[in-house]
Amino acid sequence: MSVTVSRDSTTDWSAHMAAVAARQDVDAFMRIFDHFGPRLQRYLVGMSIAPSQAEELVQEAMLRVWRRAAQFDPARANVSTWLFRIARNLYIDSVRNEPHWLEIQDALDQLDDLAATPGESPAESFADGVGLERAVNELPPQQARMIRMSYFEAKSHSEIARELGQPLGSVKSSLRRAFAKLQAALGKTP
Amino acid sequence: MAYSSASLSSAFTAVVAAHLSVCGACRERLRQTDAIGGQLLSQRDGLALSPGASERLMAKLKAEPSASTSTATAPSTPRADDPDALPMPLWPYFGRSYRELDWKWIGPGIHHIRAQGVREDHLMLLRVAPGRSLPMHTHGSNELTMILRGAYDDRLGHFAPGDMADLDCDIEHQPVTSPGVPCICVAATDAPLMFSGWMARMLQPFVRL
Repeated sequence: MSVTVSRDSTTDWSAHMAAVAARQDVDAFMRIFDHFGPRLQRYLVGMSIAPSQAEELVQEAMLRVWRRAAQFDPARANVSTWLFRIARNLYIDSVRNEPHWLEIQDALDQLDDLAATPGESPAESFADGVGLERAVNELPPQQARMIRMSYFEAKSHSEIARELGQPLGSVKSSLRRAFAKLQAALGKTP
Repeated sequence: MAYSSASLSSAFTAVVAAHLSVCGACRERLRQTDAIGGQLLSQRDGLALSPGASERLMAKLKAEPSASTSTATAPSTPRADDPDALPMPLWPYFGRSYRELDWKWIGPGIHHIRAQGVREDHLMLLRVAPGRSLPMHTHGSNELTMILRGAYDDRLGHFAPGDMADLDCDIEHQPVTSPGVPCICVAATDAPLMFSGWMARMLQPFVRL
């Protein structure tokens, strides 16, 4: 099978997803798992849940990927973005025991399925990922650290300020600057 | 961004989700924020899963119905054209219909409903009669409000349906509801006893003038 294309030595995970959607390709699916499973585990453990529970969520996230492969739209998200959303929503669902959370998220996603605007090709959004990678690597260490604490430890601005011993105001402005840079790398401003 | 990184409490998340359900621009913004999360996810080293994780997943795949990829059940979506429908993310807390809301009187021209089953922080609907000026007040904590119906003005501007106001204790304001229809908003606050205190202050004229 030749779903792997080389671009900046990155695998085209969207093509793997397409294979899963089109013919329930188990090999492609397991390659996605081999690559992203441990990363999801890192993310979930970082959100301070027990490793064994994190593993269960990784399994559940991957099952959702399998079941919903047909809903994955490479024009709207990278595979990593999609997985991040799925894992985050499962995390909130399980850890916070939030009623109807997943249902609400699915319905919100559907709003955009109805109004999806064509025009952005998969290749373009894949390229977005490459620009974004560069932007993440170019962040000043302090800003990169704050961004990671925010995304991967679910820390609020005040918690980050406390932990780094910095005034809340400068944490907020650093995060805003970092976020603006990353957003610019996505090539779209809201 | 806090929504994307799961650092908001349930009550605040509900208000943001309600806003997302009516604001395509913010959904697009959330997609971008999630794209950054996804990028960070793929750039980090993984954490080894326990041996046999692949085999367990494979076993689960085999147990899946074969047509599974196409049979994902569609969740019920709100009918955007139904003027009586609350934003769908609020259904679990307040029900689906404005008509069926069970308002409690808390002051002249002011009614509220507390959400059921919110585990963190506090979520409520607030209804203020049209053309009413509330006393100047501050907020004892963080508060996130979204206008559902009607409108109000304060020194921060004009707030109409779909708008969100992010208030903290530094902001002092005196909302004046617009004439016509009652102003209904959904609000999340992070102080357990703040609501009664806030209402008490609000109903006590001139206290902060």
